[in-house]
Amino acid sequence: MLRGWSQVTSFQFDIGSRARNAGRFIGRVRDELLRALSERKKDDKLSQQELAKKLDVHRSQINRQLTGESNLTLRSLADLAWAMDMEISFELKKPVVEAGQNQPVTTSTIGHGQIKYIDGGKRRASLCQELAVAPVAARRGNESLR
Amino acid sequence: MSTIEDLVAAGAISRIEVELNGREQAQRLLYGTPDFIEWLRKLVNGADPENRLGQSTAAEQVDQLFHLFLSGGPLIHNRQFRYIRAEENAVWELKTPDTRIFGWFMRRDCFVCVFGDWADKVKDHDLYRGYRIAIRRLRRQLNIDNTLCVEGVEPGDVLSV
Repeated sequence: MLRGWSQVTSFQFDIGSRARNAGRFIGRVRDELLRALSERKKDDKLSQQELAKKLDVHRSQINRQLTGESNLTLRSLADLAWAMDMEISFELKKPVVEAGQNQPVTTSTIGHGQIKYIDGGKRRASLCQELAVAPVAARRGNESLR
Repeated sequence: MSTIEDLVAAGAISRIEVELNGREQAQRLLYGTPDFIEWLRKLVNGADPENRLGQSTAAEQVDQLFHLFLSGGPLIHNRQFRYIRAEENAVWELKTPDTRIFGWFMRRDCFVCVFGDWADKVKDHDLYRGYRIAIRRLRRQLNIDNTLCVEGVEPGDVLSV
């Protein structure tokens, strides 16, 4: 072993299920916006500048929202989807558990303490959120951008 | 010539894991040096930058980034929006709104995290060069040659999915 280094072969970065759920959801929303913008840019040459113009805000504001450097509210999310001519679908559903899939960690290393599963871990206690942005144009046929 | 197993057995690096969702399998591998693991422990204990920009905490941002990396998610949307960036000297930077992680790819899809820091601090003090030099020095210290260091600077050189 190298001098001064203690041996840890594996480290589980566990921030707790509540924090994990929040962070990954926020990241997923941002990734979905970036994916949609890339698609629009490729298909219709929609630029960030045009998005900003449609929403009557400065381009830097759009940039900060997309990079995650400023807060994304439900209103700003809806506005961005509108400006990209995309439709938002949002759903909360109970997670489906199948045989052989990963089981959630039952302990937390931060404030929330031990997570208890009253059904023996067969079902997660938390709800699962899903959000997807789909092109409105695909639903409307060939309707042009507003 | 070192192998990944040698480095783990010597305590030079440790495997980093995060919880994957029910149907996910790890598509990539993450390792960290002891100092980097200490930085992760600080995040778990609530360390956050003074003026946080992101909506989520630094720990949540890093968990989301690691989850995306390990589950094989897209790390690059376009030139402007990317979680990963090549530096000189076979050093790569992983990014979240408030954190920066520097390290190198031992193999394609196999990254070693060496330094973690706040994004503001890295940018304000221009720490890029210092981290690059320190990582190069560490690789020399660990006898790492090009069998455990990907030299390419294109995303396709270091990521297969």
